[in-house]
Amino acid sequence: MKRILIANRGEIAVRIIRACRDMGIGAVAVYSDCDRAARHVRLADEAVHIGGNAPGESYLRIDRVVDAATRTGADAVHPGYGFLAENEVFASACRDAGLTFIGPTPEAIALMGSKTAARKAAMEAGVPVVPGTEDPLGPDVPDAAIAGIADGIGYPIMIKAVAGGGGKGMRVVASPEELSSAVRAARSEAQASFGDPAIYLERRIARPRHVEVQLLGDRHGTVLPFVERECSIQRRHQKVIEETPSAAVSRPLRLRITSDAAAIARSVGYTSAGTMEFLLDEEGHFYFLEMNTRLQVEHPITEMVTGIDLVQWQIRIARGEKLTIDPDAALKPRGHAIECRIYAEDADAGFMPSPGRISVLRAPAGPGIRDDSGAEAGADVPIFYDPMISKLIAWGEDRPQAIARMRRALREYEVVGIKTTVPFFRWMLEQRDFVDGRFHTATLDEILRSRAGEPFTSADEERVEIAVIAAAIHQMTAPANPRTSEPANRPAPPSAWKARARAEGLRG
Amino acid sequence: MTFQVDAGGRRRAVEVVRVGDTFLVSIDGRDHEVDVKHIDGTLSLLLGTKSHEIFVGPPAEGVITVHVDGVPVEVTVVPSSPMGAAPPRAAAGRAGAGPSAGTGPQQVKAPMPGKIVKLLVKPGDRVEPRQGLVVVEAMKMENELRAKRAGTVAEVRAVEGTSVEAGAILMILE
Repeated sequence: MKRILIANRGEIAVRIIRACRDMGIGAVAVYSDCDRAARHVRLADEAVHIGGNAPGESYLRIDRVVDAATRTGADAVHPGYGFLAENEVFASACRDAGLTFIGPTPEAIALMGSKTAARKAAMEAGVPVVPGTEDPLGPDVPDAAIAGIADGIGYPIMIKAVAGGGGKGMRVVASPEELSSAVRAARSEAQASFGDPAIYLERRIARPRHVEVQLLGDRHGTVLPFVERECSIQRRHQKVIEETPSAAVSRPLRLRITSDAAAIARSVGYTSAGTMEFLLDEEGHFYFLEMNTRLQVEHPITEMVTGIDLVQWQIRIARGEKLTIDPDAALKPRGHAIECRIYAEDADAGFMPSPGRISVLRAPAGPGIRDDSGAEAGADVPIFYDPMISKLIAWGEDRPQAIARMRRALREYEVVGIKTTVPFFRWMLEQRDFVDGRFHTATLDEILRSRAGEPFTSADEERVEIAVIAAAIHQMTAPANPRTSEPANRPAPPSAWKARARAEGLRG
Repeated sequence: MTFQVDAGGRRRAVEVVRVGDTFLVSIDGRDHEVDVKHIDGTLSLLLGTKSHEIFVGPPAEGVITVHVDGVPVEVTVVPSSPMGAAPPRAAAGRAGAGPSAGTGPQQVKAPMPGKIVKLLVKPGDRVEPRQGLVVVEAMKMENELRAKRAGTVAEVRAVEGTSVEAGAILMILE
């Protein structure tokens, strides 16, 4: 394998390019119109324009991605996560074009990508699943039939998209009266997000934790599970903070849940990196939820506590190498790692996306800190894609040290020009329930509801005074108008038009 | 040089005198001696021995965001003219009341291009601060725009199911 095309953008494209460099493999980037100057493009050895800003015109265009790979002489394709990562048609198209797809087989993607088929595979492997429907409920299944099924499962229930992920097409239904409107909403969201309106129902487990098991499978029948990740801190079913190991998982429980996860993967002949997601109830029972047939966003925390580079191993497995990792090392965490997903969102405005130009970006560093980022000063956060700009990861010898380092790193993290969720995380890492490890998947939403929009950052009197001092000094010294060198003069208003005209003039 | 500076909900009279790297800043009569260094886009302030790191964001609708030791503070600087006439900055600023204005009609604008998913209020409705007004889908997420203050819905311009551009006025509250 000499050259890998990375069919993605943002931090994950940067992450994969780095793995390529570490292995002496060439990296080819692809980009849409607005990503011409993005970091992944500049880091790559070669870059190919694949179309317009909307994902459907570029990063989701299988034909153009495959064409870019063949044109640049790439011999393999890494899909990252999102976009085409769990699209079996793309995996097949790569195979048909003679490209190695760095991921599972199209057959495994298709099988485990269907939530209902994955549940069946788990049951056949003897792994407990959340009670619910075994077959997809297509758009032709009438409401009355769904109501009957829901009664059989028992309320509260969850509606989920068969093709789903990331909380899209997901609804909680507390009582029969809410069912038909929730079904309608879930179907339309599933259709819009995945092009498939099929849904299924599951019983809602009370106050569960989300615990997941990372796996690697090679092409010689070896499947290796890793120490679990705890991903219960979620907002509207989207993971916000992940950590490993979980405070709720004892060593015997770890052995059971990881061997069950590996059993499911073995039963379907799974290869490459994948993740089995489970719910863990308050009594310590776990239930298989679904499988992600790709590299996960939160893979770095596993890397931090095991010292294993998962992306490199994906590449090595795709080259046909055998897994030579010591199974005990993969299950025995060294210390503790936490990840915060830094989003371009205004947490004080209900986590509204905050796209725009980053004028200043200073990422933290120092002992135990890793910042996987695709953003930088001077770059725009486009409105067309997921607004995650970075993943901040802290490692410590134990959980308290990891938390202390994360707090220190968040304090150092400066992003000016757009709003980010950094202030939210500074607040979150002070919360007693988080520090004590007492939480479940609805904890964050409950806290946010009880705060009713109260801001996460409010400057104290001293900081406001310092801000006033700084603003006045800035006003006096900023080169707003270079010709007015005498600071005692009234400064002219900065001309946005001139700046704009200059920017337009520079555009190619 | 004198300014009027709005921050933390109050207006302050600020006078600044520069002596080399040292600035003498007087805020409503409180005096500070500030040692200042510029490092690229960063300001390092020393008040006595107390060290503060400052990042100043680009102005947006006349408001600049000053990050003080990582905490953003929204500040508006108005240079006062010696005659006490209308400050020039006000004339240069965007026309119309911004959403952060404390009184007057409240314009609810689309923060980015998107689709109107759902209207949560209708003309004549009373709304409380932070009450949801309209759901807009953008960046693959549904976002609820909320009222900044209490008021009454005077006009609803947004139509469910339609697309809107960034800055489009979706509704007006009084």
